[in-house]
Amino acid sequence: MKFITAYAHLKENICAVNGEMICRRDKDSGDSWFKQIYKQQEFVYPKFHKMDVLSQAGFLTSKLIKRANPQFAEKYKDDEIAMLFANQSGSAETDQKFVHAYRNGAPSPSLFVYTLPNIVMGEIAILNKWYGESLFAVLPEFDPEFYINHCHILLSAGSEAVLCSWLEIAGNQIDVFTFLIEKEGENRSEFTADNLSKIAFAGNLHKTEINANY
Amino acid sequence: MDDLKEELKRQLIEQLNLEEITPADIDDDTLLFSDKGLGLDSIDALELIVLLEKYHGIQVTKPEEGKEVFRSVNSMAEYILKRKG
Repeated sequence: MKFITAYAHLKENICAVNGEMICRRDKDSGDSWFKQIYKQQEFVYPKFHKMDVLSQAGFLTSKLIKRANPQFAEKYKDDEIAMLFANQSGSAETDQKFVHAYRNGAPSPSLFVYTLPNIVMGEIAILNKWYGESLFAVLPEFDPEFYINHCHILLSAGSEAVLCSWLEIAGNQIDVFTFLIEKEGENRSEFTADNLSKIAFAGNLHKTEINANY
Repeated sequence: MDDLKEELKRQLIEQLNLEEITPADIDDDTLLFSDKGLGLDSIDALELIVLLEKYHGIQVTKPEEGKEVFRSVNSMAEYILKRKG
């Protein structure tokens, strides 16, 4: 049996951990939405400011999950935590920014390095010194069965926990759902497609029409 | 020379997105690529090459010069003055 032991939602204007809202976007702030969360949660990691939006979203939700589940990282060896991420748009958001910069004559190397969606997992691995398996898939839509099937493989082949994420950012639309799967989890939801759908959908209930300015 | 160094510090912060650092935090001899200094990485090194071309019209054509040129704000300023002759 496997369990969903922690999860975080990041939407256009709210950020929630285990279903509890922890941060609401201040639309009058001069800071981007993701920077607002970074500052409000008092994270200290200067490299955050160099990341593209996909990596910033992965950084924030993985840090929030670790904070909500502080024993998690200490329970496992550095190669026993796998990562399984997916989205619909790949790194299109950053790809477009790079194309724009290129056409305007000043292509940035630091922007270029984020023109692959799986870089977000590299950032999280570097931050946490995790050396487990990692996979980033581009899918038509959020698919619980994808996570069920691949977590089953990972947890049968040496991994003890899997940090999973649906990490979709396209224009002003933000749909980030990061969750942790472990083999043990007292009083936590069992990792089934039905439970995963319910928890993922719960994040949508927080959505409003406020446009993001991440 | 001092004006150029102050200008370089502002350009470093902007080009490298060093949002938690101010020009006052960077000494003229702060090591740019040391963990005891700014802790820049290999991608930042590429950004510094872009910076020299973008702001100062200088192309770094000899990669072997990079290690010494990008040692500190002092060395960058000396290199710019030397190249501009």
